[in-house]
Amino acid sequence: MIRKHTRRAAKAAFAISLGVAIVLGLFAGTARPAANAGPAIVIGTKNFPEEYILGELYKQALVAKGFSVMNKGSLGSTELIQTALTSGKINFYPEYTGVIVQVVFHHNFSGNSAAATTKLARKLEAGKGFTVLNATPFFDTDVVAVTNATAKKYGLKSISDLKKVGSFKFAAFPECQTRTTCLVGYKKQYGLTNVTFVPLASISAYTLLDQGKVLAADVFSTDPPLGKNSKYTVLADPKHVTGFQNVVPIVKTSVAQAAGSSFANTVNAVSAKLTQNAIVAMNKAVIVDKQSPATVARLFLQANHLV
Amino acid sequence: MGALIFDTANAHTFFEAFRFIGDHPGFLATKALEQLELSGAALGIGAAAALPVGIVLGHLHRGSTIAIGASILGRALPSILLIAVFLTWLGIGFVNNMAALAVLATGPMLTNAYDGVDGVDRDVTDAARGMGMSRLQILGRVELPLALPLLFTGIRVAAITVVATAPIAAIAGGGGLGDVIVNQASYRLEGVLGASYCVMALSAGVWVALLALQKAMTPRGLRSNRRPTAFSIHGVPPEGDFL
Amino acid sequence: MTAAGPVIPNFGQGSSCVTGDHLFCWDWVRQHWGDTLEPHLVQHVELTVIAVSIGFVLALALALVSHRVRGLDQPIAITAGLIYTIPSLVAFQILIAFSGLSTTTVEIPLVGYSLVILYPNITAGLRSAPPEVLEAARGMGLTQRQVLTRVELPLALPAIIGGLRIAVVSTVAIATIAALVGDRGLGYPIFLAMGLPTPFKTEIYSAGVLVVALALSLDLVLVTARRTLVRWVR
Repeated sequence: MIRKHTRRAAKAAFAISLGVAIVLGLFAGTARPAANAGPAIVIGTKNFPEEYILGELYKQALVAKGFSVMNKGSLGSTELIQTALTSGKINFYPEYTGVIVQVVFHHNFSGNSAAATTKLARKLEAGKGFTVLNATPFFDTDVVAVTNATAKKYGLKSISDLKKVGSFKFAAFPECQTRTTCLVGYKKQYGLTNVTFVPLASISAYTLLDQGKVLAADVFSTDPPLGKNSKYTVLADPKHVTGFQNVVPIVKTSVAQAAGSSFANTVNAVSAKLTQNAIVAMNKAVIVDKQSPATVARLFLQANHLV
Repeated sequence: MGALIFDTANAHTFFEAFRFIGDHPGFLATKALEQLELSGAALGIGAAAALPVGIVLGHLHRGSTIAIGASILGRALPSILLIAVFLTWLGIGFVNNMAALAVLATGPMLTNAYDGVDGVDRDVTDAARGMGMSRLQILGRVELPLALPLLFTGIRVAAITVVATAPIAAIAGGGGLGDVIVNQASYRLEGVLGASYCVMALSAGVWVALLALQKAMTPRGLRSNRRPTAFSIHGVPPEGDFL
Repeated sequence: MTAAGPVIPNFGQGSSCVTGDHLFCWDWVRQHWGDTLEPHLVQHVELTVIAVSIGFVLALALALVSHRVRGLDQPIAITAGLIYTIPSLVAFQILIAFSGLSTTTVEIPLVGYSLVILYPNITAGLRSAPPEVLEAARGMGLTQRQVLTRVELPLALPAIIGGLRIAVVSTVAIATIAALVGDRGLGYPIFLAMGLPTPFKTEIYSAGVLVVALALSLDLVLVTARRTLVRWVR
């Protein structure tokens, strides 16, 4: 093999050890918890603009109060971000109360009121070692939308009217297919058959609706395209399949405790200001006016003296 | 941080992925066929654009900058960017993804076609001209057969580039095995890994099949004619002008 | 309990270009260079430089080793080829389970791909020294190390830089997929813009132009470096 005393081998050894040193340095670098203000808060968000805004709102408010915070950005759907949370890759993310109860904990029914849903969500998460902080005033539920032309053509006013259409394509984020707050619930409660599910990956459901690739899609009630003069018709959900969906920050309990009461107070102060009007305005700023979520969050926090 | 400690649940996943394949053979086969369809269409369009241009330029011994530039640009264009751009022009679906992948396929094929034809020994072409062959005859009977190895390498490289990149097209409705790979939420990591084993097998299969096709199509007399240059030692196609 | 309602500031209305979904909106680019485009460009440069540097060090080490120990070349080349077939999408997902949502997860596949591109080029370069030249050098009494540093490596320079060019350009492109592992690199604005109800052309095009421009300028830097280095070495 390599003669121990050749300079060649020495050079190779040096190069390899340099490379390994750099690699180890990278590992170590990412392992070290940031700065010195309490435990490191690692925020993640789900993969749509409203969540990006929420992530930035909480992050900037906490940074202003001296906490060390990282926002990892868009991580994916509930199922994926839950894995990130339970495996410790993040320790904070904003989730919807009904989703916690029905999707994370697989209950069939989330509650008779927003408050009841929040309470149940808090209890369930506490059992797993996670703290659910105060809920926001605003809620954002899934809704089924069709283009105005489609609604007119088939006379669609409520989700059960979709039975009239025969077989049709329905687009939604992949997780909708297995959720009682989504497709499973729609099919069961409204007797829908002949639905072909089209999972969304990175493209918006509105794009698919516009291009006629699907007849109906599952979208969110706070989306700007559903605002004034909308091109889309939201179908009524009288059986309340989609549940109550206020936002609550989920935080690993040990981290929340280590961070102290000022942590919870800061987060709750932000949540308290997030009314329906506020979130819709912020969504519009990001989705329609193409402002960055970070800037929109900053402006809102400044206007409300939260930073 | 424990980053270097393997989580046993996850080391297990690599083997669970094989079970996923075993459990869903029909589904994965359909997806694989979808992916081949998309890749084939993209390769076809790319070849239709790249090969004539490369061959003609090589024959004229002109435009080496274009050939090299095509290669560099092909490598510099991220697949995601191409998909996003074509999405804004062509909407979602098969055509947009096919166009994006076709652009990726042109680079290797154009460069290699150019190199292949341009690099034919001048003595040989001079002799052919001396024998009274027309330009077209020289191209068809002398240059192209001699350029075949490089030409085919270019097609092979383009083919596996397209097959291996096709999964990302799933984010814009491209279908294929990518539908599983971008959807860890539904299929879990076992499914994602299983689908990617299939993608890797597909790439390898395409490579081998095209290699066999090349051997079958190369005239017997030219089979040992592969000029061993530094590039071909490791099968790295001649891109870049380092010699 | 009844707090005053929030103040909703003016977030700045997007220009009619932006809201009307026109082909390209310079005003958006000017307005958002600082908060969106530039930070992601810087991240992208960092990702690329780290990946190619480490990949180069490792590839050089491996090439030097296999240059002397002939039997090693085939196994290394085959392993390298196998690494290259792993789709980056999958590599990231697997690594998240081990190294989390960190830069490390992103860098490992990028380093791997750089290594795979650089190793054959460096090896080919080292082998390109004509046998007569090597014999002459040894005849002049040069040791093996001196032959390496004074003859083989200088002759290998064009191949090494050629490999670096390919590695750098490829890494810049592949690094766009790093955006799947969180907010880093120029791929992130592209993903976000693609997913809006109406995909936002300006953001896609401007991030795209930056990626391609970055790749081409780094390529140009290396081409210039090669000319200088080759002249200097000769």
